[in-house]
Amino acid sequence: MKDTYDIMFCGVGGQGLMLLSAILGKAAVDSGLEVMTGEQHGLSQRHGSIYVHFRVGKPISPLIPYGKADLVIAMEATEALRYVEYLRDDGVVIMSKRIMPPPSETGAVALDKEKKRKYVTVDQIVERLNAVTHKIVALDSLELATKAGNPLTENSVLVGAACACPDFPIPTEAVRKALLSLVPRKTVEANSAAFDLGRQAGGTCLG
Amino acid sequence: MTVEDVTRTDSGRALMLANEAVVRAALEADVKVVACYPGSPTSEILDTFSEVLPHFGDYRMQIAANEKVALETVAGASMAGLRSLTSMKSVGMNVASDALFSIAYTGVNAGCVCIVADDPHAHSSQSEQDGRHFAEPSYTPMIEPSTAQESYEMTKWAFEISSKYKTIVMIRTTTRVNHQRGLVKLGDLKRTPFKKNKWSEVKGQYFTVGAIARELKAKLLKKIDDIRPEFEQSKFNILEEGQGRIGVITGGVSYLHSKEAMRNLGVSLPTLKIGTVYPLPEKKIAAFLKRLDTVIVVEELTPYLELRVTAIAKDANPKIRIIGKRSGDFSEMLEYNVPIVEKALAKFLKKPLSLDYDAVTKRADQLKSILLERNPIFCPGCPHRGTLWAIRQALSRLRIRDKIVYNNDIGCYSMAMLAPNNFSDSMLSMGSSVGLSAGMEMALDDKVIAMVGDSTLYHAALPGIVNLIHHNANVTLFVLDNSITAMTGQQYNPNSPLDAGEQPARKIIMEKMFEALGSDSITVIDPYHTRDCVKPIMDALQAKGFSVVISRRECALYGDHLRRESEVPIVRSVNDKTTCRSIYNCVKEFYCPAITVDESDSKMRIQTDLCDGCLECRQVCPTSAPAHVDGTTEGPAHMSSGTPG
Ligand SMILES: Cc1ncc(C[n+]2csc(CCOP(=O)(O)OP(=O)(O)O)c2C)c(N)n1
Ligand code: SF4
Ligand code: SF4
Repeated sequence: MKDTYDIMFCGVGGQGLMLLSAILGKAAVDSGLEVMTGEQHGLSQRHGSIYVHFRVGKPISPLIPYGKADLVIAMEATEALRYVEYLRDDGVVIMSKRIMPPPSETGAVALDKEKKRKYVTVDQIVERLNAVTHKIVALDSLELATKAGNPLTENSVLVGAACACPDFPIPTEAVRKALLSLVPRKTVEANSAAFDLGRQAGGTCLG
Repeated sequence: MTVEDVTRTDSGRALMLANEAVVRAALEADVKVVACYPGSPTSEILDTFSEVLPHFGDYRMQIAANEKVALETVAGASMAGLRSLTSMKSVGMNVASDALFSIAYTGVNAGCVCIVADDPHAHSSQSEQDGRHFAEPSYTPMIEPSTAQESYEMTKWAFEISSKYKTIVMIRTTTRVNHQRGLVKLGDLKRTPFKKNKWSEVKGQYFTVGAIARELKAKLLKKIDDIRPEFEQSKFNILEEGQGRIGVITGGVSYLHSKEAMRNLGVSLPTLKIGTVYPLPEKKIAAFLKRLDTVIVVEELTPYLELRVTAIAKDANPKIRIIGKRSGDFSEMLEYNVPIVEKALAKFLKKPLSLDYDAVTKRADQLKSILLERNPIFCPGCPHRGTLWAIRQALSRLRIRDKIVYNNDIGCYSMAMLAPNNFSDSMLSMGSSVGLSAGMEMALDDKVIAMVGDSTLYHAALPGIVNLIHHNANVTLFVLDNSITAMTGQQYNPNSPLDAGEQPARKIIMEKMFEALGSDSITVIDPYHTRDCVKPIMDALQAKGFSVVISRRECALYGDHLRRESEVPIVRSVNDKTTCRSIYNCVKEFYCPAITVDESDSKMRIQTDLCDGCLECRQVCPTSAPAHVDGTTEGPAHMSSGTPG
């Protein structure tokens, strides 16, 4: 039996990963759960790849061991694959379908004379992830956020979807409360709607 | 959110970054003077103190020009009777250590604490330095926490030890401790009002040389001998009972990895966790070794503990087998994690691993083969991108791209070493570009170029610059003035009209400084007027003597912050596809992460939500295809206040 629920957050510098981790952290603590995180600050905040190891239950180390994350939450699709060594077999992946190609890839695509070189696609990523799990929720988080009334609420969509995971340890209402207390006042309504849309979308995918 | 946990007055539990826990503990210990220079992984200590300064108003704080000044500042405050704290990254102590060794001799007065944070894996540092080695040669007590909770407790304890023995106390951390968030049990926060002392009431003698130094050295040795028993008994040296005659000695974050590895393997080996790095609890270690046949030492970087354990074992238990780096079971490279420790323990204990980690990482590597690396890169709108493009143009127009040596320095602009610039013949430590230039200028026929940022300029480059000018060197220095210390998260520096907590400060006017120093030429350019920068750069490169080019434009992140504050909207850009002729200068030569290619028509497309609207890409486009979404074509105005010219 695993006594720790491990979540790997990942994304691209500037996407607000720290806020996401702060929201779940607050929700977990408010629900009386033990939490420990290993965060990445510093150098690669500038459009580099970033992550937070987020551990609930009885973690000892701040870093999730390879192959043991129960859930990967990726704010950018390629980043879900970049941290695949942390995902456990049959773990859950919740990811945005958004892809932000690194300039080196744009260079390769632009300068290929025969125009054969294409950007990596969400389908390719899902296919690769399928070697580890089929529990993948790929969300058009921007579309859902826009539908919720504010395109900047993508994170809330992803957090909502996480709450739909059957074994997710933090109570949904605690997450909603923490979320709404940490986002700017003016955006509370949109964030709440985004959270629900994420939850529905996650529920549909994960059954 | 966590700032509220730092400022709340009651006790209770809070989820905190270890760096925030340090701040909270120092405030509970009634710290009165804080001085720091930023550096990962300690920057959040500076940032948090700075953020809560206006709230408290009962301590004084400065963002120092460098770590040596910061250490001297807090030592000075302590000599004057006020509790003080500084924090710095590993390499910061190299800069500060000249003062440290003397301060150990003279001692201090009020509690004085220094956090030194190492960075195994060199996540954001130029080396994997092991700062534990500063303690013994300087005779400065050093302690090391593993968790956020311990960071909190040890900071309070460090103030006590420091006050009691009138010595600086160092707290050594590593990246995985500083950037760990965990639950912290807070104490009550009772601050006292800030009050200046009179020297006559607090004074002591703080000088050391010759015969006085020898006298102080004898006293210092005695002081360390007095601290030894106290550290020996410290509750931070934890003995955890377990089964068998194989034991573990560890400390810092390695302790956490070891504990989890043991849990995964279903074993509980007797474990001694070392909290006092110097002086070590030698008696405790000896007693521990006596009951074992084998001891496994788990620590990152150098075999600091292992060598000392080996020495203690010589008397305590000469037959004991020591498993560590010298036995080849652990590496001095990189940082550890649970799998690394679990594998080493499993191999030795002949136990099956809880998971075949190697198979997991091997499969992952195969799955990831379709991804290109996502390296750190200049932000959209970064002024450095335009400056470097213009330097490249100038060099190729002068046909001297292969007749230069380019000495890079430490800051965001260090990324000039990556494509498409590849400017980096050297990059050592802050300010080294100018020092190296002196030697290269004597030894090379080539044009010698040095490049520093505004923070680096005042941190450690100045003596090197004075040296170049004094010696009539032919060197071109680029100063990338982006108004802020950007790489570590936008802290103020002597180039700012502000200090910690948004207090007013005096901005050093660098043109005047360079003029007074006797620079042969001083040119100011604006990298957002990218094309216009090329000619002045060519002139400066051709000028004889010491020429300075100041490239002035706010860091894009800082500029965004200023614009948000003054409610100036960010106008983003689009590429006009009717004008675009797929020349791809913006792709090949610019590498802005907001720029992508539309696969349907092979034309450049800007990801509008990432774009900062700098229009530098328009400047490098032969057809000027990118423009603002509202059709305007002028880049944004300068935002920072107090910038001359
Ligand atoms: C001795 C030392 N202290 C601190 C650091 C951490 N550090 C890395 S870059 C940097 C600041 C660079 O600022 P600046 O020169 O203005 O360049 P920018 O990042 O703004 O482009 C600092 C403080 C370091 N590497 N070495
Ligand atoms: S933080 Fe500022 S200086 Fe650094 S890369 Fe980003 S925009 Fe440029
Ligand atoms: S205007 Fe051009 S260079 Fe500037 S951020 Fe936008 S896409 Fe990048």
